[in-house]
Amino acid sequence: MIEKKNWRYGMFLGCVAPNRYPMIEASIRAVFEHLGAELLELEGASCCPAPGVFRAFHIPSWLVIAARNITIAEQIGVSPLTGCNGCYGTLRDAWVEMEHEPSLKKMVNEHLAKVGRVYKGNREPKHIVQALYLDMGMDYLRDHIKYTFKDLKVAVHYGCHIIKPSDKRPWGGQYECPTFLDEMVELTGAKSLDYKDKFLCCGAGGAVRTAVKEISADFSREKLENIRNAGADIIIDVCPFCHLQLDLGQLEANGIYKDIIGEPYKIPVIYLTQLLGLAFGIDPNQLGLVKNHQLAGVPPFISIEPFLNIVKEQLD
Amino acid sequence: MTESKPEEIVVTAHDKPKIGVYVCHCGINIGGVISVPDLVEYSKTLPNVVLAKEYKFLCSDIGQKLIQDDIKEGLINRVIVAACSPRMHEPTFRATLNDVGLNQFLFEQANIREHATWVNMQDPEGAYEIAKDHIRMAVGKANKLRPLEVQKVKVEPSCLIIGGGVAGMNAALDLATEGYTTYLVERTPTIGGHMAQLDKTFPTMDCSACIITPRMSDVAKTKGIELRTYCEVVDVEGYVGNFVVTIMHKPHYVDQEKCTACGACAEECPIDCGNEFDLGMQTRKAIYIPFPQAVPGQYTIDMDKCVKCGICARETVCEPGAIVYDDKPVYEKIKIGTIIIATGWDLFDPIKLEQYGYGRYPNVIDSLQMERLLSSFGPVLGKPVRPSDLKAPHSIAFLQCVGSRNFRQGGNKYCSRVCCMYATKQARQYKEKHPEADVYIFYMDVRAFGKGYEEFYESAAENYGINYIRGRIAEVREGENNSIIIRAEDTLLQELIELEVDMFILSCGLVPKADADQVSALLSVQRSSDGFFMEAHPKLKPVDTLTDGVFVAGVAQGPKDIPDTVAQAKGAASSAAALMAQGEVEIEPYYSVVLEHLCSGCKTCQSLCPFGAINFDNFKKIAMVNPAKCKGCGTCVSACPSDAMVQNHFNNDQLITIINFALKENPL
Repeated sequence: MIEKKNWRYGMFLGCVAPNRYPMIEASIRAVFEHLGAELLELEGASCCPAPGVFRAFHIPSWLVIAARNITIAEQIGVSPLTGCNGCYGTLRDAWVEMEHEPSLKKMVNEHLAKVGRVYKGNREPKHIVQALYLDMGMDYLRDHIKYTFKDLKVAVHYGCHIIKPSDKRPWGGQYECPTFLDEMVELTGAKSLDYKDKFLCCGAGGAVRTAVKEISADFSREKLENIRNAGADIIIDVCPFCHLQLDLGQLEANGIYKDIIGEPYKIPVIYLTQLLGLAFGIDPNQLGLVKNHQLAGVPPFISIEPFLNIVKEQLD
Repeated sequence: MTESKPEEIVVTAHDKPKIGVYVCHCGINIGGVISVPDLVEYSKTLPNVVLAKEYKFLCSDIGQKLIQDDIKEGLINRVIVAACSPRMHEPTFRATLNDVGLNQFLFEQANIREHATWVNMQDPEGAYEIAKDHIRMAVGKANKLRPLEVQKVKVEPSCLIIGGGVAGMNAALDLATEGYTTYLVERTPTIGGHMAQLDKTFPTMDCSACIITPRMSDVAKTKGIELRTYCEVVDVEGYVGNFVVTIMHKPHYVDQEKCTACGACAEECPIDCGNEFDLGMQTRKAIYIPFPQAVPGQYTIDMDKCVKCGICARETVCEPGAIVYDDKPVYEKIKIGTIIIATGWDLFDPIKLEQYGYGRYPNVIDSLQMERLLSSFGPVLGKPVRPSDLKAPHSIAFLQCVGSRNFRQGGNKYCSRVCCMYATKQARQYKEKHPEADVYIFYMDVRAFGKGYEEFYESAAENYGINYIRGRIAEVREGENNSIIIRAEDTLLQELIELEVDMFILSCGLVPKADADQVSALLSVQRSSDGFFMEAHPKLKPVDTLTDGVFVAGVAQGPKDIPDTVAQAKGAASSAAALMAQGEVEIEPYYSVVLEHLCSGCKTCQSLCPFGAINFDNFKKIAMVNPAKCKGCGTCVSACPSDAMVQNHFNNDQLITIINFALKENPL
């Protein structure tokens, strides 16, 4: 039995999860609580701000806002923890850049002084995947597995900001063909499939989704086509924005590209902690997997019923 | 020309220091950043500085003469040069002093180039403050300098060469021809190194084995070369001119005197295992010679594989009775004057770059494997096949810069210099055998820099129809029938390519030997940031190391091709010979001395000395320092509880004065 440590993090919500996919937040909280980690609230946190959009327009503003968000966690003495690749990209890039360039830190603190804040840089921003895989470790997670799937084929989607830029990420040499996510998925007994262009972007990032919907949907289409060809039962991701794109994006691809895709896509998209939570024996209601079917226009847009059936069949 | 030693200028501890400070502009390196005239004026305010001057390049003849004239006129008896690193010009200025009869240790150099103006180019004010600090500290030390005498020691006229590849062999042949006994130590059972594994050499396409094997037998036959194969250097003691080296003879389990290399044992041996020489692509027996032309040709038993079945030891198998199952390592101590490191290289292990599929897909191989496949005495007798089905591939692709020119984590930043040409060579060789085959080379830049290389590359593209595609491969996947699907960008045509080939070859770079760390510790030789052994000066001392008497040759110093390796080996041999030809060398008098009246005989220093330079005088019950062995590291000085250890040129008085001068703007 691996010993539990006193893990404490500041839960950085970001924008997409609270607005579109509250079940992601619910499952993160449920799983972290189950693993004995304490998630504190970051009162007054704002948008991270989004790495593709804000940084592209004005780097200093992006940096100052990111630093302000980190200071909230610094004040209560914890690392900011995010379940979103985009927030991770912003918070971590900002943190690393300010570590390496004291002049940036100085500039940021001049601005933060106006709102009575000081950025220290002593709290490393972390992704929930980093907390699970590096802080707690595979052995600790394995100790908590209660149920395992007998036959579940998973297409893992890493997303971009979680692995790149490699020099600002904590994965050591793992940046071209990382395996940390596959390893965690396979803890649950599921099989993580190798599929073509596994590390392709979901299509949403860098404001492409907002600016050119067709191109964004084309990315998703290519990704989904490769996933479908590999014979995946579900998609597992670790980012609410990827989640949105792979979920809602299926409907969009089914519409825009209906002439070339043949059969419409309907692959359930599940967030990592939802899958892990099931294997840990957490109530699916707590993981946001059970939805009131009367509600229309509410995510998930692609029914996860087939996945729940697999859960019913295989997890007992 | 007559040589006359100048009259010695006697300086004693009682003479009042008369310090001259000379500030160098070093072109614009110093003068372009800070105001040298201001530094001169500042220097004049420091204690016992009697004059301060500036000059554009003090290391030039005129600059040195400036200093010498002031000494000769009796104006000064201590010299400070504020300029570059003492690594660069301390010997120059010491000679300047020596030439006019002033003791060379009455010199101090303040490094205001590397430590001030270079690192603070953007901050001239800060650089100026740092330069002032350095000069002030140098003045502090100069006030306390004492003349010291240089010792001379005899040089043993023999050389140790570590590594029996093409570099070590050539150095050994040169030194032996010049009459120096040369110990050539090789850890494998044969000399020849990587060059023996190669099939042909670029750009002349002559047969590598045909060039190297006669050299190998030359080495074995040459008088004066003491061949030590299957041996390792386990300990190095001593100092320039007088190293004592312990060599471990690893047990062959076969009596090398009795073995006639008839090969009967290997025919009977029931154990098959991978042959290192063919990178595991062919088997050898547990009793083996690495390859048919091995020198020496006697057999060795690989005890990790041997099951001691006893078959090879039977009289009917080994008639001379050479098998010795209980063979033990033998240690040999030799005395030598110089050492040449020629330990060579390892191939970069591409398994770390997961995106290229090495180790995952059978038809992805590395370039050394390709070399063996192309070799006429390799596992497939020079007719390359792909590993999955042992059929000749119809299309092959090479990827350049695998593990090289990679600025990301885990990559090597340097260019390995040989891969562009060996890939071109291998591609041409394959095309010669299979003119109908499609051959692609994906590159970043083709670096064809040597004699005849550009012509070789042009011809490969022009006359052989090899497709050079500029662009990195993003990733590869396995297609049907174990083919390899390459996804890349053609950066010249600016389009994405997806290409299916039968076999994919990774042109891996060269990396330092895995145990370079141990060699570096054994010989106190430094390594540069790329991990290769560091030369003493990148331009002017390319084969020397910072440890006197130790030289470096071949890829051990940095990636290079065969002609450059041989040239450097000859250079190292020549430098070693030049040192040995002098018969004696000077030893810096930085050694520690024991103040006998203070030493209480606790032996603390003896237990800490990393060089074994301290002996205990049992009669007087005090420590004694062997000046020849002492490297002046100062460990004993800081450890001595009674302050009985004094290190020449760095004594407590001098160091404390430096600190005082560093901390106070106006120290006296």
